[in-house]
Amino acid sequence: MSLSYPKRIFLTALVMLFGLLMIMAALWLPPVDREVDVMDSLFVIDITDSMNVQDVSFANENINRLDWAKEYTRQAILSMPCGSHAGLAIFSEARSLILMTPVEVCANYHDLMQMLSQFQPTMAWARSSEVSKALYTAIRQAKEITPQPTVVFLTDGHEAPPVHETLFPKFTDTPGEVPGIIIGIGGSDLMPIPKTNESGEIDGYWEINEVMHRDVYASSRGDAAELNENRPRTEHLSSQKKSHMETVAKRIGFEFISSPKSPQNLIKEMQKISEMRQQPVKYDLFVWLASIALVLLLLVFLPYSLFSKQHD
Amino acid sequence: MMLLGLEWAFPLVLLLLPVALLPWFNNNLDKTVAWTALVPHDPLSRTISLSLKVLSSVVIAALLLAVASPAIPERTVERFGEGAEIVLLLDRSRSMDDAFAVTTQAANYSVAGDNSKRRVAKTYLTEFVKKRPDDRFGFVFFSTNSINLLPLTYSKEAILSTIEANSLGKGLSDTNLADALMNSAIMFEDQPYRGARIVLLVSDGGQLMTDEAMEQITKRYKEMNLSIYWIYLKSRQEMTLEPSENDNILYTDIPERKVHEFFKTIGVPYRAFEAGSLEEFSDAMDEIDEQQYQTLIVEELVPHEPKADWFLWLALLAMLPLASSHLYSYWGVRKAHE
Repeated sequence: MSLSYPKRIFLTALVMLFGLLMIMAALWLPPVDREVDVMDSLFVIDITDSMNVQDVSFANENINRLDWAKEYTRQAILSMPCGSHAGLAIFSEARSLILMTPVEVCANYHDLMQMLSQFQPTMAWARSSEVSKALYTAIRQAKEITPQPTVVFLTDGHEAPPVHETLFPKFTDTPGEVPGIIIGIGGSDLMPIPKTNESGEIDGYWEINEVMHRDVYASSRGDAAELNENRPRTEHLSSQKKSHMETVAKRIGFEFISSPKSPQNLIKEMQKISEMRQQPVKYDLFVWLASIALVLLLLVFLPYSLFSKQHD
Repeated sequence: MMLLGLEWAFPLVLLLLPVALLPWFNNNLDKTVAWTALVPHDPLSRTISLSLKVLSSVVIAALLLAVASPAIPERTVERFGEGAEIVLLLDRSRSMDDAFAVTTQAANYSVAGDNSKRRVAKTYLTEFVKKRPDDRFGFVFFSTNSINLLPLTYSKEAILSTIEANSLGKGLSDTNLADALMNSAIMFEDQPYRGARIVLLVSDGGQLMTDEAMEQITKRYKEMNLSIYWIYLKSRQEMTLEPSENDNILYTDIPERKVHEFFKTIGVPYRAFEAGSLEEFSDAMDEIDEQQYQTLIVEELVPHEPKADWFLWLALLAMLPLASSHLYSYWGVRKAHE
């Protein structure tokens, strides 16, 4: 490349003028509005005893299901764009209890984490774990919240007392009316379930004769009782109940994700099934304008002579 | 990333800073002269050429620094405000699902929707929180085991959402008042004393507490200098916390009165508000609102402030003479070639 001296002087002057204009624009051009897709979510975390089973791993460390659920929730909240809302709820007995209705995730991150860190088995108000019913209450309560959040239900799917296939609690709402995702937690091997005492410490394990092994209602029906006869008695042990959660998810129109690897799995699924809200955010273009000025200026000073011989 | 006390959104851009030296190794704009000895020795030209190089380097460096998007990180500043630190203790028992301030006994047990005690408490507390800009609020989860659900926070959105969540769904079967009172005190533990500390209990009943629990509560509350406000939502209009002469015999021994007696003996500031109607409830909230304006140290979170403008200004100031000089030389060269 070789340009005559007057041409070079002309181009340099032109570039300098443009550079100056770009810097001025970077300083004084008002921010533009940009639409960002934000989501509203309600995280329901299972705090029943079976969540104390240590059969999941995080960053190569063996941790219990509840800690995994809390860490996954934290990461999912972190992955949401500012302007998204997240609420927190716990599940014990046969209901979901909302503890914080959805709040903006960036401004309230600290408070969300403070509350999340408090979730522990001692908060349970009863010692049963009726997952399906808890899902139904979560759906009903999500409907009372505006804007209606997508329910994210983190559980191992362990029903205690067990539910017989033909005696499922009836779901009276419209499936899919409230979008939701069940996140399945736990390993595939049956593990003993730790018992916790009042202060939340692990105090022995649930024994085979301390839990119910069949649906109480099914055992009172002649046919079902027969049907149940030869089933193994394993309800004192727990694993991730994938097929059960799949069935329940289908019934209520939820998605089911088993042991997701990254919070992105959840975020992508949420973007697919829930209505995104558009939130305008102010976006300052100064980075782009300053970069243009910078590139222009460098064009003047690049050592062209290294690539080609210059002639006057 | 933090560098020089600033937070840089694109720190890798800073690695390009050496390119600011390019103007010093460059002769794109030199005019080829047949014999340099012919060029007169001109100290002014030398100074000008030197300063143009300096200016070019400054512009490039300043633009790079601006593109790296520096900002002063989020920080807290302390200021004096007026208000208090308030821990909310909302009864979540089943009885709070009943209608508030009814006159007939039958209505007392009907399942109340919007005018349940819990919903009414939510409405007034929400109003109260909104009225108090400087207060810090905490929330205790009131169940079999109470939990310090939301430690003291300035975020109005967080506390209002927690209060709202508390009004959803049905009540819990079992609540433990002594445990909740203890936990409320723990909320203030390890906190510097910033101003008035209040435990605000909203409930429709009392509970018998063990002597041991009462002793512990007395000790803690005194040590930590807490005040207790109790908004007592009456189930029956004629029931009072203070015994009166023509008392119904049924009321003489109820837990509410025992709790009231106990609160009076602790030796910390204590006020009970007996709310039998919506007006009384709202008056109680107003009275607390009026009383609690003492000096309070408020920690304010200053959001992170982008500071790229500093460098853009620097770039602009250096660019102005630089661009002018190049426009001037263009003008000069054009003249010379005319």
